[in-house]
Amino acid sequence: MKSSFSRFEIDNGINFNVIKDQRFKTGRISVTSFLPLDSENVSAYAILPFVLSHSCRKYPDFTSLNKKLADLYGASLFADVGKIGDIQTLTVSVSFLDDRYAFSGESLSSQLTQLLCDIIFDPMIENGTFKEENVEQEKRQLVELIDSEYNDKRVLAKIRCEQIMCEKEKFGISRFGEKTQVLRLTPDDVFEAWKRVLRTAKIEIMMLGDADNESALEVFKKAFSKIKREKVLNCDTQIIKDVDNIKEKSDEMDISQSKLVMGFRTGVALMDPEVIATRVAVSLFGATPQSKLFLNVREKLSLCYYCSAGYDRSKGIMLVQSGVERKNIDKAKKEILNQLEEIKKGNFTDAELDNTKKSLTNSYRTIGDFLSGLESFYLSQVFDKEFLSPEQFVEDVNKVTKEQVIKSANMIKLDTIYALVGNEEVS
Amino acid sequence: MILKEIKSDRIGDKYFFIEHESGLKVFVYPKEGYNSTYAIIGTKYGSINTSFKVCGKDEVIKVPAGIAHYLEHKLFESEDGDAFSKYAKTGACANAYTSFDLTCYLFSCTEKFEESLKILLDFVQSPYFTDETVEKERGIISQEIKMYDDDPSWRVMFNLLAAMYHNHPVKLDIAGSIESISKINPENLYECYNGFYNPSNMVLCVAGNVDPDNVFKIVNEMVKKSDSKVPECILPKEPYNVVTDRIEQHFEIAMPTFQLGFKEEAKDSRLTDEQLAQTDIILQSFASRSSKLYKDLMDEKLINDSFGYEYFEGTGYAAVIFSGESKDPDKAAKMIKEAVLELHKNGINKEDFERAKKLVYGRNVSMLNSAENISNAMMNLAFSNRELFHAIECIANTTIEQVNDRLKQQLDNKNSSLSVVLPLRRKKDE
Repeated sequence: MKSSFSRFEIDNGINFNVIKDQRFKTGRISVTSFLPLDSENVSAYAILPFVLSHSCRKYPDFTSLNKKLADLYGASLFADVGKIGDIQTLTVSVSFLDDRYAFSGESLSSQLTQLLCDIIFDPMIENGTFKEENVEQEKRQLVELIDSEYNDKRVLAKIRCEQIMCEKEKFGISRFGEKTQVLRLTPDDVFEAWKRVLRTAKIEIMMLGDADNESALEVFKKAFSKIKREKVLNCDTQIIKDVDNIKEKSDEMDISQSKLVMGFRTGVALMDPEVIATRVAVSLFGATPQSKLFLNVREKLSLCYYCSAGYDRSKGIMLVQSGVERKNIDKAKKEILNQLEEIKKGNFTDAELDNTKKSLTNSYRTIGDFLSGLESFYLSQVFDKEFLSPEQFVEDVNKVTKEQVIKSANMIKLDTIYALVGNEEVS
Repeated sequence: MILKEIKSDRIGDKYFFIEHESGLKVFVYPKEGYNSTYAIIGTKYGSINTSFKVCGKDEVIKVPAGIAHYLEHKLFESEDGDAFSKYAKTGACANAYTSFDLTCYLFSCTEKFEESLKILLDFVQSPYFTDETVEKERGIISQEIKMYDDDPSWRVMFNLLAAMYHNHPVKLDIAGSIESISKINPENLYECYNGFYNPSNMVLCVAGNVDPDNVFKIVNEMVKKSDSKVPECILPKEPYNVVTDRIEQHFEIAMPTFQLGFKEEAKDSRLTDEQLAQTDIILQSFASRSSKLYKDLMDEKLINDSFGYEYFEGTGYAAVIFSGESKDPDKAAKMIKEAVLELHKNGINKEDFERAKKLVYGRNVSMLNSAENISNAMMNLAFSNRELFHAIECIANTTIEQVNDRLKQQLDNKNSSLSVVLPLRRKKDE
C-alpha cells in the first residue's frame, strides 16, 4: 500500500505527475513553473504566484476566495518562489482534506482542482491587465518579505555568502529580485510575465494523495489546451568546479552572536555519477550529530550551538554555517577546514562511514511518509534523465565506498568566507 | 496493566494505551503502511518549574532559570557514552526539546526500532553529571542563548510575556540567561532529575510503523519503578492584570514585528477539549484570512502573510496572542482592539461560525497525517488530561451558543499588552 509514481505529458514541456497514495488524510496538488533566473524579469515572475493566489475571476477578492477555502474544510492555498541551481521556481499549490472526512460526503478534491485552475488560468483581470489594487497589495507584501529576510541573521548571512560566491553567476540573483525592482513593477509587467510563463516555462503539476487523478488530468488538459505553447525556455545551470582565489568578506552589525558562513565548490553536481558519494562525504563532514563538525567544533571545543554543512547538488556547492562569538571566528574557521582535511586524508573509521550511511538512508526512507516530502523529492528530479524512488537512493548510498568518499572530499574547494560580525564586547 | 484501545469511527484510526506499574503512561498509534516510526518520551517538567517542595519537607527549593533545558542537554550523556553515538548505530534521527512545562526526548527511525527505543529508555533513566561535563556544556548553551537573543521573533514573544506576567515564571527565557546558567552544577541537576524524571511523571508516545505489543514489552523490561514522590511545584500568585500595556525593543532589523496578547484568568487546572475547541473556532472566525478583520488590516497595509494567532495556555497561564510583521504595529493593535469591541457587542454570526468550525475540524484531521504530530499531540493532551479523538469530536459538535458564551471570558481589551520590536534608531532619524 505504498505510493506509486506515474507521469503524463500534457503538452510540450508540461507534465502531470501522480503520486498515488492512500495512507494520508489529505491530498495535494501543486503547479510549479521553471524559469532561468533572469535579472531583468526576476521580480515580475516572483510576484506572480502571489498575485494569482490573491483572487480569481470567480472569487474576485481575497476575502471571497478565502471564504471558499475555509468552507472547503480549511483547504490551504500557497504561493511560493524558490531557486534550484540557476533556475527560478514559481509554485501555486492547494492542500485539502480527503473526501472521506467531509461532514456530508462533498467532493473536495474536484472543487479544489477546479479552483487551482481558476487561479492559474482565469485570474482577476480589469481593463486588459491585472487589477492594480491587487498588484500593489502584493508588491507591498513582497517588499516586506525581502525586509524580513534581513531580520533573520542566519538566513541573511547565508544569502550574503551565496551572493558573494556566485556574484558572476545567475545563482547570485535573489529569487525575489531587488526591492527597487519590485517597487517599479506595473500590472502590465506582471500580466506579461504571466502570459510568458504559461507559454514558455517548463511546468510540472504534481498530484498527491488518493483523489481522482484521471479527472484532474482532464481538467488540466482542457485548461492548457487554450494556451499556445512556444519553445520551452532553456534551464541550464552553470557549474563551476575550480576556485582561482578565495573571497573573504565580513560586515559588522549590532548583534550578539556572529554568524560564519563558508562556501565551497564541490566539483560534483546535477547528474554526475559522484553525486551520491559527495552527499555521503558532506554528511560525514557536517550534517548529523555524529559528524566531524558537530563532534569537534561544537562538542569538543564548545565553540558554538550549531555548525553544519549542507550540499546543494543542483549547483554543486556546499555551505557550512555556524554561530560563534566574535573572538572565536578564526578558531572556528580553522577547525572547520581542519576537519575537512581529515576527511580528505581518509581519517575516519568504517563505523563512522557506516553510521553516516544509516542516517542518510533513514532520511530517504522517511520521505515517503510525508506528502510534502514526496513532492519535493520527485520535483527535484524533473531535470534528470529518469525518476528514482527513495528506495533506489537508499541502494545507491549503501554502495558508496570509503575510497569514493575520499575522492569526493578531495574535489571540495573553499571559495568564499563570509562573516556577519557582532560588535559585542570581547569578554 | 490493562490495555485500552481508543478508536474513532469518524477518522477510521485507533491507538492503544497502557499505564505501566511505574506510573508511566504509554500511547501507541500504529499507522498502516508507514515506513518510519516516531517515538517521544516527555516529563512534566519545564522552564516554569524553578520552585518546588520535596515530599515530606517544608523547605521550598529554588533552582536557577534554565535548569530544565540544561538538564535536557546533559541527559544525552551517560557514563557509557552519549546517546547520539548509540543512535548512530541504528540510524535513528534523534533530538530533544524543552518547553515551558515539558522536557521531551525523541527519535524517528525506519530500521532497528526496538534498539532505538531501548537507547531512549536507557539514557533518560541514566543521568551522569560531573563538574567537567557540566562545564563543557556552558559554552554551547551560552551560544544557544545568544542565537535566540538575535532572533526578533523570539524576543518579541518573551518581551510580551514579561509585559503580561508579574510573577509567573513563564516570563523567563526557556534556556535561562548567561548569568542564571552560571549557577548550574551537578548537584542541582541531580536534584531536579531525581525529583521530576519519575516514570509516574512521564509519558511515552509512539506512532507510525509500530507493533504496540513490542513497545509494551520493552517498557516492561526497561522502565524501573521509583519509590520517591514527584515534588510539588510552587507557582507564585499571579494577578489578573497585565504588568504594562506596551513594551518595545530595538534591533538591527528592517521589518518591525509585534505580538498583541490578551491575558486571561488562569487556574491551576487545565482547560477542557470543549473549551479549547470553542476558542479555536472563535479565533478562526475573528481573524482568519476570510475574516473582516484580516481584510481591514490588509486594506490598511498593516499586516502581511506572516499574520497569525494562537491560544497560549498552560498551568497558571492563558492568553490569546496575535502576531505578525507590520510597518505600524501600534495602529495594527488599535484596529484589532476595535474589532474585539465589535465582536463582544455582536457575537459571532452563524455563517462565520459554520465556516470556522469546518476549518478547525479540517486542520485537526489533517494533522493526523504525520506520526510526529500525532505523538506530540498525544503527549501534550496526556499532560492536560485531554484525549485526541475526543478533541476532534468536540470540534465537530461545538454549537454557536457555546462559542458565544465562551467569548465572554476571552479577549478583554482592558487586559492586553503589545510587544513591538523595531529597527534601531539611526542618528539621522532623531
